[in-house]
Amino acid sequence: MHETLGLLLSSIFDPSSPQARKIVGLDYGFIAAASLVLLLVVGLTLFITIRYRFKKDDTEPNQITGNRRLEILMVGIPLLLVIGFFFWSLNTMSAILPEHGNHKPDVIITGHQWWWQATYPGTSINTANEIHLPVGKKILMQLEAADVIHDWWVPSLGGKMDMIPGMHNFLWVTIDKPGIYEGACSEFCGQQHAWMRIRVIAQTPADYKKWLREHELNATKPTDTLAKLGAALFMNASCSECHSIRGTNANGMQGPDLTHFGSRQTMLAGMMDNTTKNIDKWLTDPQKVKPGAHMPRFIFGADSVHALAAYLKQLK
Amino acid sequence: METIQVPEPEESIPSLSVSDNQGLLQWISSVDHKQIGIMYLWLSVLFLLIGGGEILLIRIQLAVPNNHFLDPEMYNQLFTMHGTTMIFFVAMPAIFGFSTYFVPLMIGANDMAFPRLNAFSFWCTFFGGLLLYFSFLAGGAPDAGWFNYAPLNQYNYSSSPGIDYYCAGLLFAGVGTVSASANFVVTILKYRIKSMGLKQMPLFVWMLLINSFLILAAFPSLNAALVMLLFDRQMHAHFFSAQGGGSAILWQHLFWLFGHPEVYIVILPVFGIFSEVFPVYSRKPIFGYAFIIGSGIAIALLAFGVWVHHMFATGLGNTVNSFFAASSMLIGIPTGVKIFNWLATMHGGSIRFRVSMMFAIAFLIEFTIGGLTGISFTLVPIDWQLTDTYYVVAHLHFVFIGGTLFGLFSGLFYWFPKMSGRDLDEKLSRWFFWLFVTGFNLTFLVQHALGAMGMPRRVYTYPDVPGWGVLNLISTSGGFVMGISTVLLLSIILKALRTGAQAEGDPWDANTLEWTTSSPPALQNFDQVIPVKSTRPFRDYKRPDDADWKERDSHGK
Amino acid sequence: MIKLIVGTEAMFFLALIMAFVYFSFTPDFKSHQLLNLDMKTTGIFSLLLFFSSFTYWRAEANYHKGEITKLKVWLIITIFLGAIFLFGQGREYLSLLNSHISVSSSIFGTSFFTLTGFHGLHVLVGIIVIGIVTCLTFLGDYDDKKSSVIGAVGIYWHFVDIVWAVVFLIVYVLPHIY
Repeated sequence: MHETLGLLLSSIFDPSSPQARKIVGLDYGFIAAASLVLLLVVGLTLFITIRYRFKKDDTEPNQITGNRRLEILMVGIPLLLVIGFFFWSLNTMSAILPEHGNHKPDVIITGHQWWWQATYPGTSINTANEIHLPVGKKILMQLEAADVIHDWWVPSLGGKMDMIPGMHNFLWVTIDKPGIYEGACSEFCGQQHAWMRIRVIAQTPADYKKWLREHELNATKPTDTLAKLGAALFMNASCSECHSIRGTNANGMQGPDLTHFGSRQTMLAGMMDNTTKNIDKWLTDPQKVKPGAHMPRFIFGADSVHALAAYLKQLK
Repeated sequence: METIQVPEPEESIPSLSVSDNQGLLQWISSVDHKQIGIMYLWLSVLFLLIGGGEILLIRIQLAVPNNHFLDPEMYNQLFTMHGTTMIFFVAMPAIFGFSTYFVPLMIGANDMAFPRLNAFSFWCTFFGGLLLYFSFLAGGAPDAGWFNYAPLNQYNYSSSPGIDYYCAGLLFAGVGTVSASANFVVTILKYRIKSMGLKQMPLFVWMLLINSFLILAAFPSLNAALVMLLFDRQMHAHFFSAQGGGSAILWQHLFWLFGHPEVYIVILPVFGIFSEVFPVYSRKPIFGYAFIIGSGIAIALLAFGVWVHHMFATGLGNTVNSFFAASSMLIGIPTGVKIFNWLATMHGGSIRFRVSMMFAIAFLIEFTIGGLTGISFTLVPIDWQLTDTYYVVAHLHFVFIGGTLFGLFSGLFYWFPKMSGRDLDEKLSRWFFWLFVTGFNLTFLVQHALGAMGMPRRVYTYPDVPGWGVLNLISTSGGFVMGISTVLLLSIILKALRTGAQAEGDPWDANTLEWTTSSPPALQNFDQVIPVKSTRPFRDYKRPDDADWKERDSHGK
Repeated sequence: MIKLIVGTEAMFFLALIMAFVYFSFTPDFKSHQLLNLDMKTTGIFSLLLFFSSFTYWRAEANYHKGEITKLKVWLIITIFLGAIFLFGQGREYLSLLNSHISVSSSIFGTSFFTLTGFHGLHVLVGIIVIGIVTCLTFLGDYDDKKSSVIGAVGIYWHFVDIVWAVVFLIVYVLPHIY
């Protein structure tokens, strides 16, 4: 179940943050208590059904109707257990999710049907789907919804939090080690809810700073002919009405920002790897790849598709 | 003026064949509680097959990662309809079926207080179900999940009429449910045979009384939400759309104010069934009669104070979360303690392992598992990890199937001879039991792990994460085992109805009044009723020397 | 039985009222209430509705005394008062619609029309039922004093009045006080 640093199996039992670790502690405590209770019930059931099964020379059993003392015990013991766990969980709750007060968020993540938008206050960065964060720092994420309710969940980093239109929600996280942490949207948000995967790329503070610097820059200008053709197509076809590429005329707000699209490892919110072949497939017929996605089908010829893909691939 | 001819029944339960000169007409015009009860049960079986078919299609789609058997739109409609069907058109009609059949019999009455209202309630449920399913033909079934959150349920995100049919179908069926519950309260409070006070009432009847109040109080919240949603969708009102000044989370509050009591609505009657079954097959009285009633009332009252535990991840703040965590933990206690009451009932008894009892014993373990996973959600940080994952799916199926459905099966095997006058094949029934329990555990135990491994719920497919594929495949195969065993059950029932052995009036040597009648009971249930001086009047009648109302020592002698 | 129905309907109105109160905290809402709702005129119509509870009470009292003619008179007056109340509601609705306030115009419109609309619907149902009872009275069904119908309908009608008292307070009166 334990994987290497590269692609961590995002299980709740593989905590990679103090928040997740605190929850695991509570998990184990609960599992211990619950197992005891289950063992008791199973044990009693087996014992009673075997010991008191009907035997041929059985007489009518004693007709006991109750026992006040036993009943009080049966209420009292669970009550004590419950009170204990209540205070433990209260303690864990306030440790994981204290009030955010006036603290400014380090990243604002907005859920869209069916992709993630991330902006970093204090910078002009507006990126999509792959969320870069620094390790070792207690980060405040602000969670917003652009359309319907979504939910942010990366199991190894801690609990989840809904993104609800009209509400501002917050989540604290401190990531232990650099690596890739996977998660998924966890509130049914429509047709492609299944393909709204989360990819958190945690970096050392130095790497993170470097990433921030690179991503503040405007988009690279294409140098080879095919990419140049793609760029021209992008601006002339309706791409720029929904997508933005900083440093060009494209400033649409409907779809993901594509300024540094080429630097992303995956596309379509974790649905497939970011390869030229996959971009080709997507541009040819989005509805065939991710049916229901809000990108309409443009009838591009194969040449146009290749050009656009070349342009997008070099937007590093 | 001409007198109106009303078809008067000749047999108490006529055959189902249409060729009989009055058969079908008598069924659809019946106001007899026994016939209506049977119609409820058949409705429930029909929708069980449909809802089961829906989920088998889903399980095929989920058997392997990145599957393309179903497209996402169809998948979303199927899981929405599966949940809605199972709760509103399988569990509730089955419960009402047994209730409307047996409550009058158990209290020594000849019918419900309002027989025509009883029929009306059934037909409302029936047509509500048809209306919901008509959506498939009218542009698409609802596809926003059975709890249908806003703003996904708004017109601009779900423009197919499916959700409108969801609202209309549930409103219609809801009228039936609420009117039936009012009928039950009046029947139970006013139509008991004179010698049966509240303290001599069978626990099944008690649970139904409590349950009826729960329904009367909880359904209006759903009705209000559905009506508001229809206004939003049809008249462009702004209840749930943030842009118009409305509130998406209001839907969740209204829905769960109904939704949480609803889960107790489908479990309390089943607690009642088990409280009848355990004593009969253990040959002992129920352990802690007053206690079971008290905990039932406690559950009904607390049920309205826990709804936010479905919303711990919506960001309402830790104060609110803490309050509802505490109340949710509290409500687990009366629920759980009953398990020990039933164990204590069996303890010292002389247990007969008929299939009804086998389901009851299996329930003890399955429902405990479901109950414990439920309690895990009251620990809010655990909820923050596991809500909206397959762990929840596992939990809810352990309580709905391991609880409600096992209870309904237990009731079926207990009461079938009385209702039909035929015995069910014991050997085949045991096969059904083992097959179903195996399939059930195979399907849902692994889903706890899937949730802990990060698989969210309501996903039409999933990436090839290590472990997810194999666990999903196991779950799918379990589902098919359940499907096959359900078909087996149907064939057992049909076989019994056609060629089963004649059943006696009292096959299990039971305790309550319904067993004093013939199998099936005469059209008019009772000409006379035996005296009722305890909760086990028939047993007192059969064993006058060891009657419950006589003094016993603390060891029950 | 009717008490159970009243109970379940009370829960329904509770849900609608709670939604109204929830939304009344949004900005702009109170100004809508103060500007567009006419507390005085609606107040008068409300008094007529409350008076109809009194008239129904008289009808019931006369029924128990066996005074069938008086029963008929009081029933008819009750229907009349209920109808006038609905007429008043209709008038107010029309003036709001003319000011471009509808169920879709704003959250105020949504909550106001839904809450008062469902109440009006219950009044209408009540009037129809009392109408049926009145017809049956004329046909001689209630010549003896043994039926529980008059009493049951009374409970429903008083309930409808009580709901209006609460709704009127919250929707019309409260913004002037708070």
